Amino acid sequence: METLLTDPQKTRYQEFKEFVATNVQPFVEQWDRDQRHPASIIEQLGQSGYLSSTISPEYGGKGWDFVTYGLLNEAFGRASSALTDLLTVQTMVAMTLLKWGTDKQRGQWLTPLARGEVIAAFALTEPGAGSAIESLKTEFRHTNNGDTLILNGQKKWISYGQVAGLFLVFGKLKEKPVACLLERGIAGLEIEPIQEMLGFKSAGLAKINFHDVEVPSSSIVGKPGFALSHLAPVALQYGRLSTACSAVGLLRACFEESVLYAATRQIGDRTVGKIDMIRTFIAKMGADLGAAQLLCYAACRAEDEHLPEAFTKILVAKYYTSRAVVRAASDAVQIHGASGCQESSPVARYYRDAKLMEILEGTTQIHEQLLSGLFVDQAAQLKG
Amino acid sequence: MSADEKTNIRETVRHFVLGSTAITQLNDDENLFELGIVNSLFAVQLMTFIEKTFQIEVGIDDLDIENFKSIKATTAFVLRKNGGVAA
Repeated sequence: METLLTDPQKTRYQEFKEFVATNVQPFVEQWDRDQRHPASIIEQLGQSGYLSSTISPEYGGKGWDFVTYGLLNEAFGRASSALTDLLTVQTMVAMTLLKWGTDKQRGQWLTPLARGEVIAAFALTEPGAGSAIESLKTEFRHTNNGDTLILNGQKKWISYGQVAGLFLVFGKLKEKPVACLLERGIAGLEIEPIQEMLGFKSAGLAKINFHDVEVPSSSIVGKPGFALSHLAPVALQYGRLSTACSAVGLLRACFEESVLYAATRQIGDRTVGKIDMIRTFIAKMGADLGAAQLLCYAACRAEDEHLPEAFTKILVAKYYTSRAVVRAASDAVQIHGASGCQESSPVARYYRDAKLMEILEGTTQIHEQLLSGLFVDQAAQLKG
Repeated sequence: MSADEKTNIRETVRHFVLGSTAITQLNDDENLFELGIVNSLFAVQLMTFIEKTFQIEVGIDDLDIENFKSIKATTAFVLRKNGGVAA
Protein backbone atom coordinates (compact mmCIF):
# COMPACT_ATOMS: atom_id res chain seq x y z
CA MET A 1 0.00 0.00 0.00
CA GLU A 2 2.86 2.37 0.66
CA THR A 3 3.51 2.54 -3.08
CA LEU A 4 0.21 4.39 -3.39
CA LEU A 5 1.25 7.14 -1.00
CA THR A 6 2.69 10.48 -2.02
CA ASP A 7 6.09 11.44 -0.64
CA PRO A 8 4.62 13.86 1.93
CA GLN A 9 2.19 11.14 3.08
CA LYS A 10 5.06 8.66 3.46
CA THR A 11 7.07 11.20 5.44
CA ARG A 12 4.19 11.95 7.79
CA TYR A 13 3.41 8.24 8.23
CA GLN A 14 7.00 7.67 9.30
CA GLU A 15 6.74 10.60 11.70
CA PHE A 16 3.53 9.17 13.19
CA LYS A 17 5.10 5.74 13.66
CA GLU A 18 8.14 7.26 15.37
CA PHE A 19 5.95 9.33 17.69
CA VAL A 20 3.97 6.24 18.62
CA ALA A 21 7.08 4.12 19.18
CA THR A 22 8.53 6.74 21.55
CA ASN A 23 5.53 8.24 23.30
CA VAL A 24 2.79 5.61 23.21
CA GLN A 25 3.98 2.02 22.77
CA PRO A 26 6.15 1.87 25.95
CA PHE A 27 3.24 2.99 28.13
CA VAL A 28 0.09 1.35 26.76
CA GLU A 29 0.16 -1.63 29.06
CA GLN A 30 0.23 0.64 32.11
CA TRP A 31 -2.48 2.88 30.70
CA ASP A 32 -4.61 -0.21 30.08
CA ARG A 33 -4.15 -1.30 33.71
CA ASP A 34 -4.82 2.23 35.02
CA GLN A 35 -7.88 2.52 32.74
CA ARG A 36 -6.90 6.07 31.90
CA HIS A 37 -4.41 8.18 29.96
CA PRO A 38 -2.27 10.75 31.72
CA ALA A 39 -2.88 14.37 30.79
CA SER A 40 0.66 14.50 29.44
CA ILE A 41 -0.04 12.33 26.40
CA ILE A 42 -3.11 14.38 25.53
CA GLU A 43 -0.98 17.53 25.74
CA GLN A 44 1.59 15.92 23.47
CA LEU A 45 -1.09 15.00 20.96
CA GLY A 46 -2.36 18.56 21.01
CA GLN A 47 1.11 20.06 20.59
CA SER A 48 1.92 17.70 17.75
CA GLY A 49 -1.25 18.66 15.91
CA TYR A 50 -2.56 15.12 15.94
CA LEU A 51 -5.89 16.22 17.41
CA SER A 52 -6.37 18.72 14.62
CA SER A 53 -5.36 16.74 11.59
CA THR A 54 -8.47 17.48 9.53
CA ILE A 55 -9.32 20.91 10.96
CA SER A 56 -8.50 23.72 8.59
CA PRO A 57 -5.45 25.92 9.30
CA GLU A 58 -7.83 28.85 9.65
CA TYR A 59 -8.65 27.38 13.08
CA GLY A 60 -5.16 26.24 13.95
CA GLY A 61 -5.52 22.78 12.49
CA LYS A 62 -3.20 20.88 10.20
CA GLY A 63 -5.69 20.64 7.34
CA TRP A 64 -4.24 17.29 6.28
CA ASP A 65 -5.92 15.12 3.67
CA PHE A 66 -7.87 12.06 4.71
CA VAL A 67 -5.26 9.61 3.52
CA THR A 68 -2.89 11.23 6.02
CA TYR A 69 -5.65 11.13 8.64
CA GLY A 70 -6.04 7.42 7.93
CA LEU A 71 -2.30 6.84 8.30
CA LEU A 72 -2.36 8.72 11.61
CA ASN A 73 -5.12 6.47 12.93
CA GLU A 74 -3.36 3.36 11.64
CA ALA A 75 -0.08 4.29 13.28
CA PHE A 76 -1.77 4.95 16.61
CA GLY A 77 -3.97 1.89 16.25
CA ARG A 78 -0.85 -0.26 16.04
CA ALA A 79 -0.14 0.63 19.68
CA SER A 80 -3.38 1.68 21.33
CA SER A 81 -6.95 1.36 20.10
CA ALA A 82 -8.09 3.33 23.14
CA LEU A 83 -5.88 6.34 22.44
CA THR A 84 -6.83 6.26 18.76
CA ASP A 85 -10.45 6.54 19.92
CA LEU A 86 -9.53 10.02 21.16
CA LEU A 87 -8.56 10.97 17.61
CA THR A 88 -11.90 9.57 16.48
CA VAL A 89 -14.18 11.49 18.82
CA GLN A 90 -12.22 14.73 18.61
CA THR A 91 -12.51 14.63 14.82
CA MET A 92 -16.20 13.72 14.88
CA VAL A 93 -17.12 16.74 16.99
CA ALA A 94 -14.71 19.13 15.27
CA MET A 95 -15.87 18.19 11.78
CA THR A 96 -19.51 18.54 12.85
CA LEU A 97 -18.78 22.09 14.01
CA LEU A 98 -16.77 22.84 10.89
CA LYS A 99 -19.69 21.80 8.67
CA TRP A 100 -22.73 22.82 10.68
CA GLY A 101 -21.58 25.17 13.42
CA THR A 102 -22.35 28.88 13.52
CA ASP A 103 -19.47 31.32 13.10
CA LYS A 104 -19.56 31.88 16.86
CA GLN A 105 -19.45 28.15 17.66
CA ARG A 106 -16.57 27.57 15.24
CA GLY A 107 -14.71 30.59 16.56
CA GLN A 108 -15.18 29.54 20.17
CA TRP A 109 -14.34 25.84 19.92
CA LEU A 110 -12.34 24.78 16.88
CA THR A 111 -9.00 26.22 17.94
CA PRO A 112 -9.14 24.84 21.50
CA LEU A 113 -10.15 21.46 20.04
CA ALA A 114 -7.30 21.62 17.53
CA ARG A 115 -4.79 22.37 20.28
CA GLY A 116 -6.12 19.68 22.58
CA GLU A 117 -6.97 22.31 25.19
CA VAL A 118 -10.49 20.91 25.18
CA ILE A 119 -11.40 17.26 24.71
CA ALA A 120 -14.70 16.59 23.00
CA ALA A 121 -17.22 13.82 23.49
CA PHE A 122 -19.84 12.70 20.99
CA ALA A 123 -22.91 11.99 23.09
CA LEU A 124 -25.33 10.06 20.88
CA THR A 125 -25.78 6.57 22.36
CA GLU A 126 -28.31 6.05 25.15
CA PRO A 127 -29.05 3.11 27.44
CA GLY A 128 -32.09 2.36 25.27
CA ALA A 129 -30.75 3.55 21.92
CA GLY A 130 -27.49 2.16 20.64
CA SER A 131 -27.95 1.09 17.06
CA ALA A 132 -31.51 2.45 16.91
CA ILE A 133 -30.61 6.12 17.15
CA GLU A 134 -34.10 7.13 16.06
CA SER A 135 -35.23 5.93 19.51
CA LEU A 136 -33.41 8.70 21.38
CA LYS A 137 -35.16 9.75 24.57
CA THR A 138 -32.93 12.62 25.68
CA GLU A 139 -35.27 15.57 25.63
CA PHE A 140 -34.79 19.26 25.08
CA ARG A 141 -37.52 21.79 25.72
CA HIS A 142 -37.60 25.56 25.43
CA THR A 143 -38.25 27.83 28.35
CA ASN A 144 -41.13 30.26 27.93
CA ASN A 145 -39.07 32.98 26.27
CA GLY A 146 -37.37 30.51 23.93
CA ASP A 147 -33.85 31.72 24.75
CA THR A 148 -32.96 28.73 26.88
CA LEU A 149 -33.18 24.98 26.50
CA ILE A 150 -33.76 22.59 29.38
CA LEU A 151 -32.22 19.17 28.90
CA ASN A 152 -33.10 15.88 30.59
CA GLY A 153 -31.94 12.39 29.76
CA GLN A 154 -29.03 9.97 29.77
CA LYS A 155 -26.21 8.97 27.52
CA LYS A 156 -24.05 5.86 27.91
CA TRP A 157 -20.81 4.37 26.55
CA ILE A 158 -19.54 7.85 25.69
CA SER A 159 -15.82 7.68 24.80
CA TYR A 160 -13.70 10.16 26.77
CA GLY A 161 -16.79 11.31 28.61
CA GLN A 162 -14.76 11.08 31.81
CA VAL A 163 -12.42 13.88 30.73
CA ALA A 164 -14.27 15.79 28.01
CA GLY A 165 -14.70 19.52 28.40
CA LEU A 166 -17.21 19.79 25.55
CA PHE A 167 -20.11 17.50 24.77
CA LEU A 168 -22.08 17.34 21.52
CA VAL A 169 -25.38 15.96 22.78
CA PHE A 170 -28.11 14.53 20.56
CA GLY A 171 -31.74 14.46 21.59
CA LYS A 172 -35.19 15.60 20.57
CA LEU A 173 -36.83 18.98 20.74
CA LYS A 174 -40.58 18.63 20.25
CA GLU A 175 -39.89 15.30 18.49
CA LYS A 176 -37.38 16.94 16.13
CA PRO A 177 -33.85 15.48 16.36
CA VAL A 178 -31.45 18.14 17.58
CA ALA A 179 -27.78 18.41 18.61
CA CYS A 180 -26.47 20.83 21.18
CA LEU A 181 -23.13 21.84 22.73
CA LEU A 182 -22.65 21.54 26.47
CA GLU A 183 -19.65 22.44 28.57
CA ARG A 184 -18.39 20.37 31.46
CA GLY A 185 -19.26 21.75 34.85
CA ILE A 186 -22.68 23.03 33.86
CA ALA A 187 -25.30 22.60 36.60
CA GLY A 188 -27.25 19.36 36.32
CA LEU A 189 -24.60 17.54 34.26
CA GLU A 190 -23.52 14.35 36.05
CA ILE A 191 -20.74 12.13 34.75
CA GLU A 192 -20.34 8.53 35.93
CA PRO A 193 -17.15 6.73 34.87
CA ILE A 194 -17.64 3.31 33.30
CA GLN A 195 -14.91 0.94 34.41
CA GLU A 196 -13.82 -2.58 33.56
CA MET A 197 -14.64 -2.49 29.87
CA LEU A 198 -13.57 -5.59 27.95
CA GLY A 199 -11.36 -3.49 25.72
CA PHE A 200 -10.44 0.15 25.03
CA LYS A 201 -9.91 0.22 28.79
CA SER A 202 -8.22 3.62 28.90
CA ALA A 203 -10.75 5.37 26.61
CA GLY A 204 -12.46 6.97 29.60
CA LEU A 205 -16.00 5.84 28.84
CA ALA A 206 -18.79 7.42 30.85
CA LYS A 207 -22.48 7.46 31.49
CA ILE A 208 -23.83 10.99 31.44
CA ASN A 209 -26.98 12.12 33.20
CA PHE A 210 -28.73 15.40 32.45
CA HIS A 211 -31.00 16.79 35.20
CA ASP A 212 -32.74 19.99 34.07
CA VAL A 213 -29.54 21.24 32.44
CA GLU A 214 -29.99 24.77 31.09
CA VAL A 215 -28.18 25.87 27.95
CA PRO A 216 -28.73 28.85 25.66
CA SER A 217 -30.73 28.04 22.53
CA SER A 218 -27.71 29.33 20.61
CA SER A 219 -25.94 26.11 21.64
CA ILE A 220 -27.90 24.19 19.04
CA VAL A 221 -25.65 22.99 16.21
CA GLY A 222 -27.27 22.97 12.79
CA LYS A 223 -31.07 23.04 12.81
CA PRO A 224 -33.68 21.10 14.77
CA GLY A 225 -35.00 18.26 12.65
CA PHE A 226 -31.72 17.49 10.91
CA ALA A 227 -29.51 16.13 13.68
CA LEU A 228 -30.08 12.49 12.74
CA SER A 229 -30.35 12.91 8.95
CA HIS A 230 -27.39 15.24 8.42
CA LEU A 231 -25.30 15.90 11.54
CA ALA A 232 -24.91 12.41 13.00
CA PRO A 233 -24.34 10.61 9.65
CA VAL A 234 -21.57 13.05 8.65
CA ALA A 235 -19.90 12.70 12.05
CA LEU A 236 -20.28 8.92 12.05
CA GLN A 237 -18.69 8.82 8.62
CA TYR A 238 -15.50 10.22 10.14
CA GLY A 239 -15.89 7.92 13.12
CA ARG A 240 -16.12 4.86 10.88
CA LEU A 241 -13.14 5.94 8.83
CA SER A 242 -11.04 6.49 11.93
CA THR A 243 -12.13 3.18 13.44
CA ALA A 244 -11.47 1.29 10.21
CA CYS A 245 -7.94 2.67 9.98
CA SER A 246 -7.35 2.07 13.68
CA ALA A 247 -8.44 -1.53 13.15
CA VAL A 248 -5.87 -1.85 10.36
CA GLY A 249 -3.20 -0.73 12.83
CA LEU A 250 -4.38 -3.30 15.35
CA LEU A 251 -4.43 -5.95 12.64
CA ARG A 252 -0.86 -5.04 11.77
CA ALA A 253 0.04 -5.41 15.44
CA CYS A 254 -1.47 -8.91 15.48
CA PHE A 255 0.37 -9.81 12.30
CA GLU A 256 3.76 -8.46 13.37
CA GLU A 257 3.59 -10.03 16.83
CA SER A 258 2.58 -13.35 15.29
CA VAL A 259 5.32 -13.31 12.67
CA LEU A 260 7.97 -12.43 15.26
CA TYR A 261 6.73 -15.13 17.60
CA ALA A 262 6.64 -17.70 14.81
CA ALA A 263 10.19 -16.82 13.80
CA THR A 264 11.66 -17.06 17.28
CA ARG A 265 9.67 -19.51 19.39
CA GLN A 266 11.43 -22.88 19.28
CA ILE A 267 9.73 -26.21 19.64
CA GLY A 268 12.29 -28.96 19.50
CA ASP A 269 14.63 -28.34 16.62
CA ARG A 270 12.42 -25.97 14.69
CA THR A 271 10.57 -22.71 15.11
CA VAL A 272 6.81 -22.47 15.40
CA GLY A 273 6.90 -20.72 12.06
CA LYS A 274 7.79 -24.01 10.37
CA ILE A 275 4.53 -25.61 11.49
CA ASP A 276 1.97 -25.67 8.67
CA MET A 277 -1.01 -24.86 10.88
CA ILE A 278 0.72 -21.76 12.21
CA ARG A 279 1.77 -20.74 8.71
CA THR A 280 -1.86 -20.97 7.64
CA PHE A 281 -2.91 -18.57 10.37
CA ILE A 282 -0.22 -16.12 9.32
CA ALA A 283 -1.05 -16.40 5.63
CA LYS A 284 -4.67 -15.49 6.31
CA MET A 285 -3.66 -12.66 8.59
CA GLY A 286 -1.26 -11.20 6.05
CA ALA A 287 -3.80 -11.38 3.25
CA ASP A 288 -6.45 -9.76 5.42
CA LEU A 289 -4.00 -7.02 6.34
CA GLY A 290 -3.26 -6.28 2.71
CA ALA A 291 -6.93 -6.17 1.80
CA ALA A 292 -7.80 -4.01 4.81
CA GLN A 293 -5.07 -1.50 3.97
CA LEU A 294 -6.33 -1.11 0.42
CA LEU A 295 -9.98 -0.77 1.46
CA CYS A 296 -9.08 1.96 3.91
CA TYR A 297 -6.89 3.73 1.37
CA ALA A 298 -9.74 3.68 -1.17
CA ALA A 299 -12.17 5.00 1.44
CA CYS A 300 -9.81 7.81 2.45
CA ARG A 301 -9.21 8.79 -1.17
CA ALA A 302 -12.96 8.85 -1.85
CA GLU A 303 -13.41 11.14 1.15
CA ASP A 304 -10.58 13.38 -0.05
CA GLU A 305 -12.30 13.71 -3.41
CA HIS A 306 -15.69 14.29 -1.70
CA LEU A 307 -17.28 11.51 -3.74
CA PRO A 308 -20.83 10.35 -2.89
CA GLU A 309 -19.57 6.76 -3.04
CA ALA A 310 -17.31 7.54 -0.07
CA PHE A 311 -20.23 6.48 2.14
CA THR A 312 -20.28 2.98 0.76
CA LYS A 313 -16.50 2.68 0.68
CA ILE A 314 -16.21 3.77 4.30
CA LEU A 315 -18.93 1.33 5.38
CA VAL A 316 -17.14 -1.47 3.54
CA ALA A 317 -13.77 -0.52 5.04
CA LYS A 318 -15.11 -0.45 8.60
CA TYR A 319 -17.12 -3.64 8.11
CA TYR A 320 -14.22 -5.60 6.65
CA THR A 321 -11.43 -4.36 8.88
CA SER A 322 -13.34 -4.75 12.14
CA ARG A 323 -14.22 -8.36 11.33
CA ALA A 324 -10.74 -9.11 10.03
CA VAL A 325 -9.07 -7.79 13.17
CA VAL A 326 -11.27 -9.97 15.39
CA ARG A 327 -10.13 -13.01 13.38
CA ALA A 328 -6.52 -11.86 13.48
CA ALA A 329 -6.52 -11.20 17.21
CA SER A 330 -8.08 -14.58 17.92
CA ASP A 331 -5.49 -16.28 15.71
CA ALA A 332 -2.67 -14.29 17.31
CA VAL A 333 -3.65 -15.59 20.74
CA GLN A 334 -3.93 -19.11 19.30
CA ILE A 335 -0.45 -18.86 17.81
CA HIS A 336 0.98 -17.70 21.12
CA GLY A 337 -0.77 -20.45 23.03
CA ALA A 338 -0.88 -20.12 26.81
CA SER A 339 1.45 -17.13 26.78
CA GLY A 340 -1.11 -15.24 24.70
CA CYS A 341 -3.69 -15.75 27.42
CA GLN A 342 -1.82 -13.76 30.04
CA GLU A 343 -2.90 -10.14 30.59
CA SER A 344 0.68 -8.92 30.19
CA SER A 345 0.84 -10.33 26.66
CA PRO A 346 0.17 -7.72 23.97
CA VAL A 347 -1.96 -10.17 22.00
CA ALA A 348 -4.26 -10.61 25.01
CA ARG A 349 -5.01 -6.87 24.84
CA TYR A 350 -5.38 -7.02 21.06
CA TYR A 351 -7.99 -9.77 21.51
CA ARG A 352 -10.00 -7.64 23.93
CA ASP A 353 -9.70 -4.43 21.95
CA ALA A 354 -10.50 -6.10 18.63
CA LYS A 355 -13.96 -7.16 19.71
CA LEU A 356 -15.02 -3.58 20.36
CA MET A 357 -14.15 -2.70 16.78
CA GLU A 358 -17.22 -4.71 15.71
CA ILE A 359 -19.47 -2.72 18.01
CA LEU A 360 -18.50 0.94 18.15
CA GLU A 361 -19.25 3.41 15.33
CA GLY A 362 -21.94 1.02 14.11
CA THR A 363 -22.10 -2.71 14.80
CA THR A 364 -21.26 -5.33 12.21
CA GLN A 365 -24.97 -6.09 11.94
CA ILE A 366 -25.88 -2.46 11.23
CA HIS A 367 -23.21 -2.38 8.55
CA GLU A 368 -24.65 -5.53 6.98
CA GLN A 369 -28.09 -3.94 7.04
CA LEU A 370 -26.88 -0.73 5.38
CA LEU A 371 -24.57 -2.37 2.86
CA SER A 372 -27.10 -4.98 1.80
CA GLY A 373 -29.58 -2.20 1.05
CA LEU A 374 -27.01 -0.23 -0.92
CA PHE A 375 -25.89 -3.28 -2.89
CA VAL A 376 -29.35 -4.68 -3.61
CA ASP A 377 -30.48 -1.26 -4.83
CA GLN A 378 -27.83 -1.52 -7.50
CA ALA A 379 -29.70 -4.42 -9.10
CA ALA A 380 -32.03 -2.04 -10.93
CA GLN A 381 -29.01 -0.38 -12.52
CA LEU A 382 -27.36 -3.67 -13.43
CA LYS A 383 -30.49 -4.80 -15.25
CA GLY A 384 -30.30 -1.63 -17.34
CA MET B 1 -29.25 30.05 -17.68
CA SER B 2 -30.53 28.25 -20.75
CA ALA B 3 -33.33 25.69 -20.76
CA ASP B 4 -30.79 23.07 -21.85
CA GLU B 5 -28.61 23.78 -18.84
CA LYS B 6 -31.59 23.47 -16.50
CA THR B 7 -32.52 20.19 -18.15
CA ASN B 8 -28.96 19.02 -17.74
CA ILE B 9 -29.06 19.70 -13.99
CA ARG B 10 -32.42 17.97 -13.60
CA GLU B 11 -31.29 14.87 -15.50
CA THR B 12 -27.99 14.75 -13.61
CA VAL B 13 -29.93 14.76 -10.35
CA ARG B 14 -32.39 12.16 -11.66
CA HIS B 15 -29.55 9.90 -12.75
CA PHE B 16 -27.98 10.10 -9.30
CA VAL B 17 -31.24 9.44 -7.46
CA LEU B 18 -32.11 6.45 -9.64
CA GLY B 19 -28.59 5.10 -9.21
CA SER B 20 -29.12 5.16 -5.44
CA THR B 21 -32.45 3.34 -5.45
CA ALA B 22 -33.97 0.08 -6.65
CA ILE B 23 -36.35 1.79 -9.07
CA THR B 24 -35.87 2.66 -12.73
CA GLN B 25 -38.24 5.59 -13.11
CA LEU B 26 -39.08 8.64 -11.07
CA ASN B 27 -41.27 11.67 -11.73
CA ASP B 28 -39.91 15.12 -11.02
CA ASP B 29 -42.41 15.77 -8.23
CA GLU B 30 -42.35 12.46 -6.40
CA ASN B 31 -41.30 12.84 -2.75
CA LEU B 32 -38.20 10.68 -2.32
CA PHE B 33 -38.44 10.44 1.44
CA GLU B 34 -42.18 9.81 1.71
CA LEU B 35 -42.01 7.09 -0.94
CA GLY B 36 -39.59 5.19 1.26
CA ILE B 37 -37.32 4.40 -1.65
CA VAL B 38 -34.21 5.89 -0.11
CA ASN B 39 -32.25 4.70 2.94
CA SER B 40 -31.33 6.62 6.06
CA LEU B 41 -27.99 7.65 4.58
CA PHE B 42 -29.47 9.02 1.38
CA ALA B 43 -29.93 12.58 2.64
CA VAL B 44 -26.21 12.90 3.23
CA GLN B 45 -25.31 11.06 0.01
CA LEU B 46 -27.49 13.50 -1.93
CA MET B 47 -25.90 16.44 -0.17
CA THR B 48 -22.40 15.19 -1.01
CA PHE B 49 -23.41 14.58 -4.61
CA ILE B 50 -24.78 18.12 -4.97
CA GLU B 51 -21.70 19.67 -3.39
CA LYS B 52 -19.30 17.70 -5.53
CA THR B 53 -21.16 17.83 -8.83
CA PHE B 54 -22.33 21.43 -8.78
CA GLN B 55 -19.48 22.88 -6.70
CA ILE B 56 -21.76 24.37 -4.08
CA GLU B 57 -21.66 24.24 -0.30
CA VAL B 58 -24.74 23.05 1.59
CA GLY B 59 -24.83 24.97 4.86
CA ILE B 60 -27.06 25.44 7.87
CA ASP B 61 -29.40 27.80 6.08
CA ASP B 62 -29.98 25.18 3.39
CA LEU B 63 -31.19 22.54 5.84
CA ASP B 64 -34.78 22.40 4.72
CA ILE B 65 -36.46 19.24 3.49
CA GLU B 66 -38.20 21.37 0.84
CA ASN B 67 -34.82 21.78 -0.87
CA PHE B 68 -34.23 18.04 -1.35
CA LYS B 69 -37.57 16.26 -1.29
CA SER B 70 -37.86 15.63 -5.03
CA ILE B 71 -35.89 15.88 -8.25
CA LYS B 72 -37.70 19.13 -9.04
CA ALA B 73 -36.97 20.59 -5.59
CA THR B 74 -33.31 19.59 -5.71
CA THR B 75 -32.92 21.06 -9.18
CA ALA B 76 -34.49 24.32 -8.04
CA PHE B 77 -32.18 24.37 -5.03
CA VAL B 78 -29.09 23.98 -7.21
CA LEU B 79 -30.29 26.72 -9.52
CA ARG B 80 -30.94 29.06 -6.60
CA LYS B 81 -27.54 28.49 -5.04
CA ASN B 82 -25.57 29.61 -8.06
CA GLY B 83 -27.30 28.54 -11.24
CA GLY B 84 -24.72 25.74 -11.19
CA VAL B 85 -23.97 23.50 -14.18
CA ALA B 86 -22.97 19.86 -13.84
CA ALA B 87 -19.15 19.67 -13.73
